[in-house]
Amino acid sequence: MTRRIVVIFAVLVLVALGLALYALHLKRKVAREEQVAAQQQLAMAPPADGPPTAVTIYVASDSDATLRKSQMNIVLPAERTERARAVLRSLFGAYLQSSSAHPIGAGADVRDVYLLGNDTAVVDTNSAFADAHPSGVLAEELTVASIVATLNANDGKIEHVKIVVNGQERETLAGHADLRRFYSASNVGQVVKDLQ
Amino acid sequence: MRSRLPLFDRSVCLSVALVLSVSLLLHVLPLRYPPVHAQAPEQNQLTVYSPQTTYSVPLLDWKGQLYAGLVELLEPLGSVDARPDGKKYKLQFMPPGGHPQEAHFTDGKDKAKVRGANYKLSANFVLQNGRGYVPLDATSNLLAKFLLTQVELHLAARRLFIGAVPERFTLELRQGNPSRLLVGFPSAVNPTIATEPGRVRLTFRREPVASAGAADNVTYNDPLITGASFSEHDGIAELAIIGTAPLMATFADGGKTIIVTGAPAPPPPVAQPAPAPTPEAEPSTPASAAQPRQPAAPRFLVLIDPGHGGSDIGAAITPSLPEKDVVLALARRVQRELANRGIVASLLRNSDVAISLDQRAVSANAARPALYVALHAANTGRGVHVFTALLPAANVSAQSFLPWDTAQAAFLDLSGSVAGSVAAELEARKLPNATLLAPLRPMNNIAAPAVAVEIAPPSEKVDEIASAAYQEQVAQSIAAGIAAVRAKLPEVRP
Repeated sequence: MTRRIVVIFAVLVLVALGLALYALHLKRKVAREEQVAAQQQLAMAPPADGPPTAVTIYVASDSDATLRKSQMNIVLPAERTERARAVLRSLFGAYLQSSSAHPIGAGADVRDVYLLGNDTAVVDTNSAFADAHPSGVLAEELTVASIVATLNANDGKIEHVKIVVNGQERETLAGHADLRRFYSASNVGQVVKDLQ
Repeated sequence: MRSRLPLFDRSVCLSVALVLSVSLLLHVLPLRYPPVHAQAPEQNQLTVYSPQTTYSVPLLDWKGQLYAGLVELLEPLGSVDARPDGKKYKLQFMPPGGHPQEAHFTDGKDKAKVRGANYKLSANFVLQNGRGYVPLDATSNLLAKFLLTQVELHLAARRLFIGAVPERFTLELRQGNPSRLLVGFPSAVNPTIATEPGRVRLTFRREPVASAGAADNVTYNDPLITGASFSEHDGIAELAIIGTAPLMATFADGGKTIIVTGAPAPPPPVAQPAPAPTPEAEPSTPASAAQPRQPAAPRFLVLIDPGHGGSDIGAAITPSLPEKDVVLALARRVQRELANRGIVASLLRNSDVAISLDQRAVSANAARPALYVALHAANTGRGVHVFTALLPAANVSAQSFLPWDTAQAAFLDLSGSVAGSVAAELEARKLPNATLLAPLRPMNNIAAPAVAVEIAPPSEKVDEIASAAYQEQVAQSIAAGIAAVRAKLPEVRP
């Protein structure tokens, strides 16, 4: 084998090693970016000050299939969409506790709440919310109903609610509950009544 | 001293470098630009024909040999209770009205015990993800032992016949002008008919049409129809009729006879309108000739939709018990219980296949059922929940054009009646239950009365959700609930 062939093969081996290292780097970069994005979402909560305000949340329980009204004191931001987000984060906080009767996926969070006109809210959740949500007709319905009812209870003008995941429309929450539709608070109110 | 590479060697080196770089890039690119959707490869299937039903079982290609899942094979035929325990696999099967029978298998071994006797499989038993698989060529022997009846496996064609179900066809050529070939069947058939130049192809997917022996490949000395050939492959049977001119097929005798004859010639391209045909111009047809099919009579069909399937496993009830399996077993029990009450039911999925939510709605609406029943299972909560669609009631006639997203709104009253009746039957059997509204896909798109039933474990032991006793009680409640309101639900013309 001539020296030139040896050199060419050495170069090829180096190229292969380089590409393998690049692949590894890309894999780690993707993982790191996802983590940073998740942390940024958590860090983006605006600082709120002022006295705690009583808010109403509808808390679900899987064991007896109920949705119960509950009061909580939290510091609310002044802006309407931020208030809605803060209320929903309190609700998620209750579900994320280890003692929750309706556990949702670890890391579930509300990225943003947008208002369309005066009466329609779009709740943008992170992917941990949907990807790790327990699958089941009832379990998913309880989550959707509690989000809609909680929003409506704290901002009576919000009549229609849509839930998106990472800014994207999703077919179902975890295989069952429809996420393509706008939920009407009055329609969901019937479910809430049945689940009392 | 440096030697120069000849041109040939240099091009070889460059080619090697190119191939290496491209293959490495092909490995790196998917990381940078991951695919949006990964499509599952198409699965091999075994079609099983039994006196009660026709169903398909996905086949597993294991080390170059095809295997069939034992539970998938037996569940449509009776109650199955299968429990993996380490490398051991115990299976209990009870045919309707029969006695329980046991079989024991061991992963990686070809020795098994079936109904107390030693049994040798043609290849090793495979236990994968808690599911037991037997070699495809062993299925006929095993089923014969469980069912105590004759079982015929057409291995190459992947078709399996249980009992005396194979239907042999007859061919009768009536020569004339034009000649007609009468294909006769013991019962009505509904094949897919494809016409090609000089050929009509009848494809039987659900009917147990089998080889007619000598009639499989026939040659005729006829100016129009020159032959017929029967073949079976990939779980279907196919009968091709060959001719010298375009052929067409029509049904007669209530679907028991298919008549193949020459297709009418296309009208000549003339500017003048063709004169109206006179009675003399019409071809004379003997009494046995094809009659136009009568519009089908209205019938009462319950369509059962076991949720999920394929790569969509639904909820993981336990790490080895996916929702898709629990609901398929329940669906088959509900079908049997409905049949016991004289109600015809069909399953939207009768094997482990993935069907999208929109496809489910399209298939359900195309089947024109009198009632649609979706089945789901969860590991949270207790008992059984019966759901109807969460939609505002609309004052829309079911006969009018229905919007896709709210098609169910026109049927909410009837759906509610069925849900109430099923809940009452669950109550009568002392099963914890609740009737609720739910935003469940694809119920909103169903243009028929529709309910969904979600079962949760009956006790702290989550895997009891798959127990035969519990599922039987739930299936009986659903069937009895439907039977009780049958008179309220209108029959539908297919």
